[in-house]
Amino acid sequence: MAGNKGRGRAAYTFNIEAVGFSRGEKLPDVVLKPPPLFPDTDYKPVPLKTGEGEDYVLALKQELRETVKRMPYFVETHEEKQDIERYSKRYMKVYKEEWIPDWRRLPRELMPRKKCKKGPKSEKAKDTGKGTSLTNTADVLKKIEELEKRGDGEKSDEENEEKEGSKEKSKEGDDDEDDNAAEQEEYDEEEQEEENDYINSYFEDGDDFGADSDDNMDEATY
Amino acid sequence: MTQAEIKLCSLLLQEHFGEIVEKIGVHLIRTGSQPLRVIAHDTGTSLDQVKKALCVLIQHNLVIYQVHKRGVVEYEAQCSRVLRMLRYPRYIYTAKTLYSDTGELIVEELLLNGKMAMSAVVKKVADRLTETMEDGKTMDYAEVSNTFVRLADTHFVQRCPLVPATENSDPGPPPPAPTLVINEKDMYLVPKLSLIGKGKRRRSSDEDATGEPKAKRPKHTTDNKEPIPDDGIYWQANLDRFHQHFRDQGIVSAVANRMDQTSSEIVRTMLRMSEITTSSSAPFTQPLSSNEIFRSLPVGYNISKQVLDQYLTLLADDPLEFVGKSGDSGGGMYVINLHKALGSLATATLESVVQERFGSRCARIFRLVLQKKHLEQKQVEDFAMIPAKEAKDMLYKMLSENFISLQEIPKTPDHAPSRTFYLYTVNILSAARMLLHRCYKSVANLIERRQFETKENKRLLEKSQRVEAIIASMQATGAEEAQLQEIEEMITAPERQQLETLKRNVNKLDACEIQVDETIFLLESYIESTVKRQ
Repeated sequence: MAGNKGRGRAAYTFNIEAVGFSRGEKLPDVVLKPPPLFPDTDYKPVPLKTGEGEDYVLALKQELRETVKRMPYFVETHEEKQDIERYSKRYMKVYKEEWIPDWRRLPRELMPRKKCKKGPKSEKAKDTGKGTSLTNTADVLKKIEELEKRGDGEKSDEENEEKEGSKEKSKEGDDDEDDNAAEQEEYDEEEQEEENDYINSYFEDGDDFGADSDDNMDEATY
Repeated sequence: MTQAEIKLCSLLLQEHFGEIVEKIGVHLIRTGSQPLRVIAHDTGTSLDQVKKALCVLIQHNLVIYQVHKRGVVEYEAQCSRVLRMLRYPRYIYTAKTLYSDTGELIVEELLLNGKMAMSAVVKKVADRLTETMEDGKTMDYAEVSNTFVRLADTHFVQRCPLVPATENSDPGPPPPAPTLVINEKDMYLVPKLSLIGKGKRRRSSDEDATGEPKAKRPKHTTDNKEPIPDDGIYWQANLDRFHQHFRDQGIVSAVANRMDQTSSEIVRTMLRMSEITTSSSAPFTQPLSSNEIFRSLPVGYNISKQVLDQYLTLLADDPLEFVGKSGDSGGGMYVINLHKALGSLATATLESVVQERFGSRCARIFRLVLQKKHLEQKQVEDFAMIPAKEAKDMLYKMLSENFISLQEIPKTPDHAPSRTFYLYTVNILSAARMLLHRCYKSVANLIERRQFETKENKRLLEKSQRVEAIIASMQATGAEEAQLQEIEEMITAPERQQLETLKRNVNKLDACEIQVDETIFLLESYIESTVKRQ
């Protein structure tokens, strides 16, 4: 039905006149590659609008760009340590206001959970010596047991699995396994704690407490 | 969402909130609704950071959450709302033109913070205004409150959905996430607060004229521990109302361009009268009688009733059909055809783009095909009075860029090409969509180029900032002219030139973004209005 009329000869299946080419005319080249990335334009673009209103909106835009960087909503990425500590960096740090969301409006799972109930002072003290940490760990152990007992009553399915998973996991100071059924501390404390070097989920459930969870100085001396 | 939209969203989120929030946001836009753990797992970010990012995004109304069965909460990103971030300067400027500086700052605070309680807004705006005033003067809270109430009355700010008051009789564990509800009637209801006070100026000992922060500034504890009177009632900017205002502005300026100032004033009056009575998505406004319009004209305009009637007739007879006559009672009932007006504006945009991109002869062919709806190749040549070869060339150029499309009409059931009509036609909706997509790409390119330019000259910019800081601090402590001169010379002349060029380029790119956004708004409004009517 399609017809072998051409019998191998090149023939158009439609009337070539209809698309505007006359018979026998050289057809334009076949395009074998995508169009260029920066094509030349025949016509230059129209100049931009100018005026008081436009200038004001422009100024607003640029100011807004600077302002959003200083807002507490701009979450900074943690930069790697630079090889040379610049003195001026200490003085150029921008101090941001804290922002505490209204937790009543948000899903409960978004609230950061506290693992250890230590305040920032006692954490700082930890750095000065391992001795102090040992006395604190006993308290923390007791606290964690209490929380576990309390936490058992409120668990949902997810959190059950989560707890088991965290028990099996070796201690790595990982932030991921934050979601124990710990009591929810005030968000303030979390914010303040983030200023220092300590990872929040320092103590894991069911992990070994004691000297080797602290700085690894001991392990080096084999 | 198209790739171009996702790229633009990614750039906007990165500029406003940083890379972590951008990663989470873009992931949600790409993959749709997801629970918390899946997000953390798929993006490879720690749970803490995902939580923080989600808090920020929800605060700014960019992400919503829903509780599904078995207590799983899923988060969904609103891509179109993310794109609105491009338009923030325009919203703020509109508030300034309508409600002056106070209104401008209120809207700015609401946009920067996503949602805020009224008392917090009033306090912050009063403080900001006080700082700009002369010494000794302060801004009263009452004045700011009044402006806020006016903004709420004209629907420019609205209440956010509220947490329902739970009774304690509810047994069982509390739900994993609150379901927020809002009553239509309460959306613009301002709570009765007695905000008494004045704006505070920051003490000069704390204030840094140069903006250099002190090294050991004590951490900010929340200033007021007293419970705020309107706790739990949050307000947000009502972007739809702003869009309605932009649309009205567009229609009025179109009428002014086409006819004259007086007719545009009449149209503006009609639109103002229908602001409250007509919903923003209606195809035309409620009918207004000529007598009503006459009474509502602005005070300065003293045109007689007959002249008004003549103008209205002229507007109604105009082929663009912005204004239509719907009846004869009350001296003539007139409506504004919002949908048709948006269509005309979108079509004008398309025509203008074709003209600037391909030339005026192409534009002639385009307008011809628009007018006649369907044309054959031969007919195009005849009607446009353009030689066949050129006409063919232009048609194919426009066809390849998808401004014009081909409609096949077969003569025989087997659709044989030799026995089929091929007609050129313009499908406005699909051309508008195509142009919108290109606009998104353009804005993304503009932002990328601007970031590239800034990054290239980062070292120079930092140096100039430091020099400015030094000069300012020296001026504050009183230094001689010679010393200042010396410091200024730290930046050499070619460097100054480079800075000038950079500033000019960045300004140009920023201005481009703003103006492309105006086109985006037009096309989006038209597409939305058309899709709603189908």
